[in-house]
Amino acid sequence: MSHLEPEGEEQMSEEFVFSGRAWVVGDDIDTDMIYHGSYLPLTDPQEMAKHALEYVPGMEDFTDKVQPGDILVTGKNFGCGSSREHAVITLQYNDVSAVVSESFSRIFYRNAVNLGFPILEVPGIAHQVETGDELEVDANTGSVRDLTKGVELQGAPLSGLEKEIMTAGGLFGYLKKELQAEE
Amino acid sequence: MSGKTVIEKILSDHSGEDARAGDRVWADLDLAVVRDFGGPNVVLEYEKQLADKPVWDPQKIAMTFDYQAPAKVVQVANNQRICREFAAKHGIPHVFDVNAGIGQHVLLEHGMVLPGSVIIGTDSHMNLLGAVGSFSTGMGTTDLAAGWATGRLWFRVPGTIKITFKGEYGYPASAKDLTLFLLSQIDTSKTIYKAMEFYGQPIEALTLAGRLTLASMVTEMEGKIGFIVPDEQILGWIRERAGKPVEAVVSDGDASYWEEWEFNIDGLEPLIACPDRPDNVRPVGEVAGTRVDEVFIGSCTNGRLEDLQVAADVLGRMGGKVAPHVRLIVTPATTEVAMGAVEAGLYETFIKAGAMVTNQGCSLCTIGHHGVLAEGDVLVSTGNRNFRGKLGKGSLAYLTGPAVAAATAVKGEISLPE
Repeated sequence: MSHLEPEGEEQMSEEFVFSGRAWVVGDDIDTDMIYHGSYLPLTDPQEMAKHALEYVPGMEDFTDKVQPGDILVTGKNFGCGSSREHAVITLQYNDVSAVVSESFSRIFYRNAVNLGFPILEVPGIAHQVETGDELEVDANTGSVRDLTKGVELQGAPLSGLEKEIMTAGGLFGYLKKELQAEE
Repeated sequence: MSGKTVIEKILSDHSGEDARAGDRVWADLDLAVVRDFGGPNVVLEYEKQLADKPVWDPQKIAMTFDYQAPAKVVQVANNQRICREFAAKHGIPHVFDVNAGIGQHVLLEHGMVLPGSVIIGTDSHMNLLGAVGSFSTGMGTTDLAAGWATGRLWFRVPGTIKITFKGEYGYPASAKDLTLFLLSQIDTSKTIYKAMEFYGQPIEALTLAGRLTLASMVTEMEGKIGFIVPDEQILGWIRERAGKPVEAVVSDGDASYWEEWEFNIDGLEPLIACPDRPDNVRPVGEVAGTRVDEVFIGSCTNGRLEDLQVAADVLGRMGGKVAPHVRLIVTPATTEVAMGAVEAGLYETFIKAGAMVTNQGCSLCTIGHHGVLAEGDVLVSTGNRNFRGKLGKGSLAYLTGPAVAAATAVKGEISLPE
């Protein structure tokens, strides 16, 4: 049985700046759509990655066509439903560089922070960006530039404790010192 | 400074800081629970990160196997074994195995859930324990593994919405209808990550089962936790099981709420959530006559003894027989509920009606076990989610209370109880 942590933390840019093609989905994408409950027994992240977004209407070919660095753009309340961390892992292992959403469900938000997976909230983005657009995302400033359309959108920058945890590569990276000191 | 809400009090108490909405705090955990879903991932992650490091406190860790109980596929059997072996190795005494039932309910019945406690678990409906004033919340693998190691985790202190109900209602409407009514009324973009506190006479009138129903669906409202201040009767029930003094955490009179909402539910009628969203709520009458293939009575939302009693009463009043084309599946939440149902003669009622009474657990609320649906099948469930294809691609699910579910099983189509 393999483990669940992404291979290496270098895949996440220290600077939280990304560029890639957009995949746009709508509001209220739940965790069963991101990663269906029938695959919960899987524990190998490479296997889990084959089922990303499988139940999102219109995204059935996502895992065939996604390219490293692509950026997922979503409407409101992305990741609602179950507490399964698989929903984050399945995107990480498709080398999605970031998720930019109008808003996140609390569990997805937290799991993404704990796994060092970049997320950004940008109001109205799902209505301005189309699938295939070239995006530049700077999570430090909260800005998203759509190079295809020539528009720039502004969201909330990463900050505070969440940014510290993400910078450390996730919760275990953040806690490393504390855990070692206890030994 | 103004007074504090319930969540601000609990997180202040557990962090040693003056926790206010919007703050980030590191809070001590009272209990960190895994299921057979999520649990093996937590064990593997723990061992990957920390190898043989002893857990922070074996008494404050619990395992509850309710996802696929007993295991149907070898992979899950392996997963359950991984958890049991970890528990044995670390001296974790509280392993509630596949015969125990739905985790949160089992923990509650065993006196392990106290008002004002902080509990995390690998279940997005952990927060149903807000029904007794506990701050319990669903978390992922990394949180649980880190929590087992350190006994504390980071929290964003949520703002609180104070929700007050007014009015009176009676049978056949139930706590489920109050819950579905609220779901239909709220804008989830306002409730994301918010705590809620529920007040008013209709809330005070709720039994423990009814409180659990409401608190369990705060998840579908996108809230973090919904608190109901336990009354003396519920405090007494918990004290007896916990074997120690227990007090409620109440908000201050001058607490600062994010918003305050009031709803009049006078004359509340039975409601039903239609496919594919829990908030797609309509009066039952509007969809009455819809043919169904399967009915499920159970879940962490409606699997208590009084839920089963209501269903059995309706079956009895409506002729005692399930429609020939309908599969009725009844699942008690826990062993204690199952024993209560045996003693009350409910098993006989259900079985004679043509129902299948399964062993205690999550049953149809996951696709992992039994009762899955064919393409085109229609399910009426007392559970809490009806997302597209949740129990089988191309199937549809409606959510309602036990009385409507039982009436629907008898008539073979969505029906109001007689």
